[in-house]
Amino acid sequence: MDRRHFLKQSTLASSLFFVPSFVKALENISPKSLGYKRLVIIQLSGGNDGLNTIVPFNNDAYYRYRPKIAITKNDVIKASSDLGFHANLLPLKKLYDQGHLTVINNVGYPNPNRSHFRATDIWQTASDSNEYLQEGWIGRYLDLYGNEPYNAIETDDSLSLALKGKNINGIATKNPAILFRTSQDPYFKNVLKHYQDEHLSEHNLGYLYKTMIAAESSAKYIFEKHKAANSQETYPKDEFSNQLKTTAKLINSGIETKVFYTSLGGFDTHVGQVNRQGRLLKMYADGVEAFVNDLKTQGTFNDTLIMTFSEFGRRVNQNAANGTDHGSASNVFIIGNQLKKQGFYNELASLNDLDDNGDLKYTIDFRSIYATILSNWLEVEDKRVLNKSYNKLDFI
Amino acid sequence: MNTKHILHLYARAGFGATQNDLKRCVGLNRAQIVNALFDSSKAIQPLEIDVSEFVNINYRNLDKTTVRELRKKSRDRIKIYNIKWIERLVTTPELLREKMTLFWANHFVCRNENILFVKKYNNALRSNALGNYGDFTKAISKEAAMLNYLNNSRNIKQNPNENFARELMELFMLGVGNYTEFDIKESARSFTGYNHDRNGNFKLKRLLHDEDEKVFFGKKGNFNGDDIINMILEQKQCARFVCAKVYKYFINDTINNKHLEELTNLFYKDYDIEKLMRYIFNSDWFYSEENIGAKIKSPIELLVGMNKVVPMAFKKQKDLFKIQKLLGQTLLDPPNVAGWKGGKNWVDSNTIMLRLKLPSILLGNAQISVKPKGEYEDSYEEFYAKSKRKKIINVTPNWIEFEKQFVDVSIKELEQQLIIAQISDGTKTYLDSLSKSSKREYCIQLMSLPEYQMC
Repeated sequence: MDRRHFLKQSTLASSLFFVPSFVKALENISPKSLGYKRLVIIQLSGGNDGLNTIVPFNNDAYYRYRPKIAITKNDVIKASSDLGFHANLLPLKKLYDQGHLTVINNVGYPNPNRSHFRATDIWQTASDSNEYLQEGWIGRYLDLYGNEPYNAIETDDSLSLALKGKNINGIATKNPAILFRTSQDPYFKNVLKHYQDEHLSEHNLGYLYKTMIAAESSAKYIFEKHKAANSQETYPKDEFSNQLKTTAKLINSGIETKVFYTSLGGFDTHVGQVNRQGRLLKMYADGVEAFVNDLKTQGTFNDTLIMTFSEFGRRVNQNAANGTDHGSASNVFIIGNQLKKQGFYNELASLNDLDDNGDLKYTIDFRSIYATILSNWLEVEDKRVLNKSYNKLDFI
Repeated sequence: MNTKHILHLYARAGFGATQNDLKRCVGLNRAQIVNALFDSSKAIQPLEIDVSEFVNINYRNLDKTTVRELRKKSRDRIKIYNIKWIERLVTTPELLREKMTLFWANHFVCRNENILFVKKYNNALRSNALGNYGDFTKAISKEAAMLNYLNNSRNIKQNPNENFARELMELFMLGVGNYTEFDIKESARSFTGYNHDRNGNFKLKRLLHDEDEKVFFGKKGNFNGDDIINMILEQKQCARFVCAKVYKYFINDTINNKHLEELTNLFYKDYDIEKLMRYIFNSDWFYSEENIGAKIKSPIELLVGMNKVVPMAFKKQKDLFKIQKLLGQTLLDPPNVAGWKGGKNWVDSNTIMLRLKLPSILLGNAQISVKPKGEYEDSYEEFYAKSKRKKIINVTPNWIEFEKQFVDVSIKELEQQLIIAQISDGTKTYLDSLSKSSKREYCIQLMSLPEYQMC
């Protein structure tokens, strides 16, 4: 154990726990290290149409496949000679210009699944298409490198599979104040006050008591951190931005959380895609803009990496209802201040060489992105978390 | 049989003993009570819902909008079916059959969006719940919902799909490590051509079925799916695998290998599920201290159990849904083909508070009374008043029914009946300090203890 590591462990312990845990932390020289960098994951649920997000505005095939719903060349905010942003993504274009955005095209995996449920599980567990894993990739990260549930926080009412591990789960809260109030129920406090060591055995009942204590202390810790932080930034008034605001407040409070998870739903645009996706993309981009500004003001942007994904992209060919059906590969956005390869990471896959379903063929496995983030950003052994070794990319 | 053992039996074979159950058991011995439990589960009452709109529909002939509307209607109907299932669990006279149905639903895990298939599947689980495991597995392999869920309807001679064949051995019959990739390939070939008509009846498409010779577990022949299942049943590991799952669900998360071997030897003889369950409930070791109150209730066990003590009516079915989702178990919507992991996995920092809070949310208007004996200051009421909690869930508890049921039950007996797990001295001291002027209030307090989470 080096000195820096030692100090980190001990200050963490003394600020959070009662003496016995502090002593325990010193005795039990844990190999678990959390470091300082943090990851924010944004899931666009429902399957965002990547082609109308990052638009190939010089591609005839694109306009041929989508006579009614293609984004016209004039509306696209052009970024390279052939790719540009949806008109509502101006904030993203600004990040692009500042070198704070990497767009990775054609991200997917072999034998793509087109069910929302299954595809979401695959992305959240980092499994193969025919493999059923019970733990999420962040959950496995917590199992190996985490100490407390609040090392990963999801700003929602319930917890996604992504944050569920075998031995430790992340914590879900939309509102730290409500979480705290629930945990401070006087009746529970009294029950806990009367608990005895025999309850803390390895048996199931002991596990319940232990979880109660952990939940109480996590809720308290998150609430106090959240309360202490303030934010000058004005966010748009919607649920998604609220979640980002909560996330920013927590980040700026110096909370020991490595991964934040948030999502924006409604991207399943089978019908009347243009307006609906446009609204959602605006909500996404405006929220992210406020979020990034907030972090910049408080000096936490440097240590934050934001990844945005969707469980699948959509069919290249539009359908009769001016929407698109479930597809496969799509783009992933990486936002941060320490990007090695900024702008477009790779070219868009050919629209003239689609798979049997008429979907984009993937060229980058999403787990390569996870592996890169785990190893180059969170500085852990990606292979242990992902159970397999994947090629790493060089965006960070 | 003593009350403690009766409560244990009913907690595992059902969702807790009601006052009527307890009265019926007075003066009877174990064998008589267990017999009665099986007798009352003889009947098979399918769980019904109107599916007439979905019969004889040829989706290929319909335009996309109509298909989409039908699908939506079907999904809504499945939600109603979910509610009906929960109601059934609360009110059923076929206690054990329904508990077993719930168990099998998390063994032969399946999810489907067509209410016609969902209903058919659910009732297949119910009618086979206490039958022969081999027949059961064969029936499941031919169910439309399963054929779709694990893609066996796309498993054809020209292009075999191994999904079902793999899960059949991994999750339904043998467990990982007891077969090879070659076994899966040959098994998949044997299940080729399995399909169903538009009403979900099994249909073998002869032209898509592989009629050539297959080699499976050292035997050669032109096997079909039933043959494969028969050959897997011959493996003793199959009996052991299924018994281990039964053991974890009905007895204890931690398996006693001696007892498991006893069960395996018995089950291997004829794969008779009823015999297996009779043996378990008649065993001395089933009633040993280490097994009583040792399991964490599943969310459904928790919800249904509370409902059996205090009947409640939800104003909006959406709310019952929301609770299932927040607690992490929505019937008919398993997380994946492996099902819910169960045990400690039900509980984490997120669900523990909700689980403990549930009795007060549903029965007490989101309040737990903490007024100690002899103290009259309403400080905690103020606490709640300040927080201005909105009533999240609109439920009407039927306290009159509760009072009627428990009229002859003392406070001490109420405690004994609701809390099966050992209450520690500390918690006991705390409970003793509470005012017990109201049976209702004390009921909510007991249900809010971590000990009530155990069964």
